[in-house]
Amino acid sequence: MTFLIRQIALKASGEEIVRATTVEGDTITIGRDASCDIHLPDLAVDPRHARAVMKDGELFVESIADQPFEVNGRSVNRRAIDLSRGAELTFGGHRINVERGEGGVPVFTVRRVEAISDVSEEKDLGSVYTLKGLMPGKRMSAWGFAILVLLACLAWPIGAYVTHKGEKERGSGYHGDEIWSSGDLTLAHEKLKDDCQACHVDAFVAVRDNACMTCHEDDAHAHIAGLAANDATARLVAARGEPGPFGQFQRAVAEGFNRPAGRCVECHIEHTGAGAMEATPQKFCTDCHDGMSKRLPDTKLPDASDFGTGHPEFHPALVVEPGNKPVFQRVALTKNTREDSGLKFTHAEHMSKAGGVAQMVRRRPGEYDGRDAMQCADCHTLDSTKVRFEPVKMEESCQSCHALGLEMVDGTTRTLRHGKPELVAADLRAFYRSGNPPRPASLSGMSRRSPGDGASQRTARDFARAVQFFPARADGAVTRVFSKGGACYDCHVVTRDGPAVTNGFDIVPAVQNDRYFEKGWFTHDAHSKYECTDCHVEATRSNDAGRVMIPGLGGEGGCRTCHVGGTGASLAKVNHPVESDCAMCHDYHADDGPPWMAKPKRTVAGADRPKSLRQVSLR
Amino acid sequence: MASVPGLEPTETAATAEDTTTTDTPRSSRRRTRRNKVTSHDSFLSYANGRWWKIAGLLCLASLLAYIFVPLPAQHFGGTWLGYTLGTIGAGLIVWLTLLGVRKRAMTPGTWSLKAWTSAHVYLGLSLIVVATLHTGFDLGWNVHTLAWALMMIVIVSGMFGIWFYWTLPQALSENRYDEDGAVTEKQMIEQLRSLDRQIHDAAQPLSAEDAAVVEKSLEQDPFDGSIWNRVTARYPNCATRRAAGTLREARAFRPRVADDPLDRVDALLTRKEAMLARLRRHLRLKSLLQLWLYVHVPVTFALLAALSAHIVSVFFYW
Repeated sequence: MTFLIRQIALKASGEEIVRATTVEGDTITIGRDASCDIHLPDLAVDPRHARAVMKDGELFVESIADQPFEVNGRSVNRRAIDLSRGAELTFGGHRINVERGEGGVPVFTVRRVEAISDVSEEKDLGSVYTLKGLMPGKRMSAWGFAILVLLACLAWPIGAYVTHKGEKERGSGYHGDEIWSSGDLTLAHEKLKDDCQACHVDAFVAVRDNACMTCHEDDAHAHIAGLAANDATARLVAARGEPGPFGQFQRAVAEGFNRPAGRCVECHIEHTGAGAMEATPQKFCTDCHDGMSKRLPDTKLPDASDFGTGHPEFHPALVVEPGNKPVFQRVALTKNTREDSGLKFTHAEHMSKAGGVAQMVRRRPGEYDGRDAMQCADCHTLDSTKVRFEPVKMEESCQSCHALGLEMVDGTTRTLRHGKPELVAADLRAFYRSGNPPRPASLSGMSRRSPGDGASQRTARDFARAVQFFPARADGAVTRVFSKGGACYDCHVVTRDGPAVTNGFDIVPAVQNDRYFEKGWFTHDAHSKYECTDCHVEATRSNDAGRVMIPGLGGEGGCRTCHVGGTGASLAKVNHPVESDCAMCHDYHADDGPPWMAKPKRTVAGADRPKSLRQVSLR
Repeated sequence: MASVPGLEPTETAATAEDTTTTDTPRSSRRRTRRNKVTSHDSFLSYANGRWWKIAGLLCLASLLAYIFVPLPAQHFGGTWLGYTLGTIGAGLIVWLTLLGVRKRAMTPGTWSLKAWTSAHVYLGLSLIVVATLHTGFDLGWNVHTLAWALMMIVIVSGMFGIWFYWTLPQALSENRYDEDGAVTEKQMIEQLRSLDRQIHDAAQPLSAEDAAVVEKSLEQDPFDGSIWNRVTARYPNCATRRAAGTLREARAFRPRVADDPLDRVDALLTRKEAMLARLRRHLRLKSLLQLWLYVHVPVTFALLAALSAHIVSVFFYW
């Protein structure tokens, strides 16, 4: 039997070289060992890998050491091969084609089909040293990232806007456009956090005032009261004066970008973080009020630039004419400013530690806690808001000393009615009318009669006259009580235009001024750690009831003792300066309540605490 | 910014070689020309640091404006200065991105690619100041901060790029030199091929088991491996090292014979290991030179998208 073995090698040019050998015998061996009939220099092939046996005209190929090989792509250990159909054997990187040759001789055509090593295969120098295939391509990831960002940050938010446009109230929960929010909303607007469209109504249209007025129709007071909206706006603009070239440029740019000036949001800035909305900066006020008299010649308001350095003297509203319809007038506060409340009172005498008042206090340790003098709180008590004081009531504060007792009736004091001059006069008259004068002893039946009737008749005549003229004693009492040295006159201003019952006397109704600063805000609560007389210095010095004791801007006890300007500026040195913006005392949308900065902080915890316990924010 | 290296002109080995001149008088014109061409001027020190100075001035001006210009108290980005810084920043970002277009068309002169690159680097670094001031340090979880963060990622990856371009070429060329001179990338492959052929031949007499181990080394692609393997130059599954180890272990228990084919194979595998180590160092350095761009470029496009969203959102909810 004969086998024909054709070894095919490739030249560098790609040309094939065929080396044919014949092997006599029934069996040939295939392996890496050089002694094998088919020598395959291939490390993946066993030294003696397989043998091919020709038996009865049939070819068997079998593995010698149970190392498989491939026949037509299938891994096998032995296989009969039909020579007429041929087969393809694979050992490692070599392929052997088996077929029937001339004369039925099996022909083995051997060729190397795989390079001897991986690196021997062709390598693309352009890419093999790069990161190609190891990293996602730059172009690919660039597009991927960009599209992802555009979807998440542009398409999704715009989608949310379009979906909910025109809805009155957008549902809670996260909406796509919240990714655009530049910061948390302030506490006042916290509930709107999921509803961007509550304020941002139209796309590319800056937030307009009507969005604000949807909720704020009641509390957005006009800054200039008593003017029509258009006139007020015109006056406000005039107060600001003509902007400089840069200001005009800014205004032009803003209007070019559809951001008209004068909107609420220009001052009320949102998305500043989850605290209280920030107070309006002082500059906002001084833009107009600093030097405004030049720009608005007809204004009655003095210029104001800074509390510490440029603030007009206070103009408290003072009572210039007491009475049932008192007349108030705003007057610049100076040392000589007087107020006519219709009362006479000696503050210094009452506060003194010496003299009759102090003696009275010492005599009543139970009522005055064993003090040696009166103190302010004996008469003045804060109202429930702790901002201002209750009016002093005669019955509560004065009467324990300045009693209006008329007589004792079985241990009970009968008192004249305070505040009702007619009743006082009527009471006095009634008192003197209620009985005859005591009958003289000479007229009693028990008296011994002296000789002659003359004396008796004289007494009887006198008595009869006394009885007849008894009410005239009441007149005297009435006159005395209203006149100098009388109970009313001590404290009150008495006029002569009263009714007949008071003999023509009358009392001017006293007026207690409960709010001196009507355009500014002052709260006693914020100053509770100081003594009253720290500020109301004249209370211990002056016995002049007309003296205005509220502190002034500067001077002893004045506000500038502690309060410096919003910028920290002050005219004189201040030991413990309290920086005070305009907004500490003044409100743009002024109402009866405290201004922005002094408003109680609207914290969630503080919302339902009693009003008196709320902290007043003074920054 | 101050830590960016290379503000002084530096000289490389290539410059030193190229500037050697002959003494023939006729070559003086040529010499000056050659000097001009070869005096290596890094993009970092281009034109005496012109762009360094310009970018520094831009930063300084922004800082001073941020500190001293009186502005209404509100989001800084919404003030006129904020809008100005934002516009400058956005313009810079777009212009910096255009380097990708520009670098594909080389021209000499003032607006040469080197000038562009120098400006790209320094103006890009100045964005850290300009854009961060534009934020007014008011950062949160929103599209605006996303744009800022992406920009910072791009800039920081760019700083890595500068650092790599500054330090790695030196290491790269040192790694390529052996006793016979510099080895090109093509030669590295050829050397490996030659070694593989020798190993293949030397391993022919080995037993089936030993041959299989050696075959593994031949079959392994030296360019295979993950990005992690590339960057760290650590290949725990290196078949060549395993083959060398296995064969050495096998030989330790065998009697010594003269002309043991294992000896030859072992020697060859050791050489291949050394060669692979150099190739892997080379691959590591080259991948570092490229890797930062795989962050820099895609994140730049994400940044452009986020920047667009940022700008649109500002005007949309004006």
